[in-house]
Amino acid sequence: MLTLYHWEPNANSGKPILAAYEKGLDFESHYIDLLGFDQHAPEYLKINPNGTIPAMVHDGVLVPESTAMMEYIDAAFDGPPLRPADPFERWRMRWWCRFFDQFIGPSISMFGWKFFVGPAMAQRDPQELKARIERIPLKERRIAWSKAIYGTFSPEELAESGRRIAFGAAHIEATLAERPWLAGQSYSIADMVGFNMMAGLPMMNAEVANDTKAPHLMEWLRKIYERPAVHKSLALGRTQMMRRYAHLDRKSA
Amino acid sequence: MLELYHWEPNGSYLKPLIALHEKELSFRGRYVDVLAFEQYQPEFLPATRETELNPEGEGPVLVHDGRQLTESLFMIEYLEDAFPEKPLRPSDAISQARILAWARFINEVFMPGANTLGCHLCLAPQFKGRDVAALEPLLARIPMKHVEEGWRLALTDGYSADLLQDSERKVKLSVQRIEDALAQSAWLVGSTYSLADIDAFAICNALTTLTPGIVNGSATPRTVDWLNRIRARPAVRTALSTTRTGNPERAFAPGPEHSRWG
Repeated sequence: MLTLYHWEPNANSGKPILAAYEKGLDFESHYIDLLGFDQHAPEYLKINPNGTIPAMVHDGVLVPESTAMMEYIDAAFDGPPLRPADPFERWRMRWWCRFFDQFIGPSISMFGWKFFVGPAMAQRDPQELKARIERIPLKERRIAWSKAIYGTFSPEELAESGRRIAFGAAHIEATLAERPWLAGQSYSIADMVGFNMMAGLPMMNAEVANDTKAPHLMEWLRKIYERPAVHKSLALGRTQMMRRYAHLDRKSA
Repeated sequence: MLELYHWEPNGSYLKPLIALHEKELSFRGRYVDVLAFEQYQPEFLPATRETELNPEGEGPVLVHDGRQLTESLFMIEYLEDAFPEKPLRPSDAISQARILAWARFINEVFMPGANTLGCHLCLAPQFKGRDVAALEPLLARIPMKHVEEGWRLALTDGYSADLLQDSERKVKLSVQRIEDALAQSAWLVGSTYSLADIDAFAICNALTTLTPGIVNGSATPRTVDWLNRIRARPAVRTALSTTRTGNPERAFAPGPEHSRWG
């Protein structure tokens, strides 16, 4: 049996969800309210001691780390391939996954927190928030949460994030002008990770992600958005955040 | 044909050297003097979409029949995919996912921590008294800003006390994770020597001399035993023998950045 513990089906939580649906799998879904800190509750820590979301359990075995979960889904189950068979394209797939996870992802999430999540958190009880931050097991996550909640991103940090997003968008645009998908000729985990990170870009960073400046990037986002697995995955969303996908709908544009 | 552009056998450069020798693949090694900025000279390999940007920082480049690959861990995963004989990766999906999860932790926590300490202790002193202004045109060629900033920190030894303390914390946390994993099994993933051991060893090998207070026989006996078992492997000895300085454990250049989230 496959079980996923996830928040909204975007960014890291969205990655194994989309991979599972693309593979044609069903799974038991547990919605964890990230902003309610459900991921640091004792019952969740029994499942994933790191207190991070998402978590995936297959036949009783915890599968670590969101991008690794996607490769696991492809390797462990029958269904359409999610990774190129060609070793070089597979290397390129992993290269792009790291580019999203470690280079662009943190910048995008900084903007996401600043504009969507931070203001929502400001409505909550400050004492309770403080107590909840203190029980986060990993120091890296504690610092990240306090930065997000108290809005302590410096102007320099935000400017650097903006610079990376512009740089990353231009790099993706140039790549997609040369080949249909990031790893090469086939849709792969690299595109799924990219979509999960970048789908909100035309809304949050319209100055770098628009049809004039980045037509290939925009077409790539729309093509992925139209996939049935993406629709199935977005249907697991429960918050307003899901509205950010509406701008990818060709009919409403 | 396989060619490997590499510097001293330490850190990211050591991983493909070990994997190529373990798999007994014939390759042409091309030694790149990273401290002379040979990798930024116009006659160095023409960049591709992927290799022009290297989140790993300075690192090896593998060229296989004209195709270039960077990112040391993905490079050795590639060697497994392209040359499955003499496997260094278990065939089951969960072990493969665990190797990738170790890789992410090593990239985000262990490497930035060890690299900052290494650059501060071993790289920065080499620039003392040198005309660093003369390096400006070369620094301007570095496409990734965090790598350029990494070099500037080394040129001026501009590491803050906070950064050094955080780096030490990251190294301790990582070594503890290795020590804990070795309490369960002789190797990091599953019951055999694998890419995960090569990945972690390449960073850990220098620490017995760089941070002897953290890695030593009494504080981390399992880690020291694991290091010695890996050092005794013929492929690893051959890889380490490619050193030209005689002190590969002191060879550091700017690597992956620390998490920007704190």
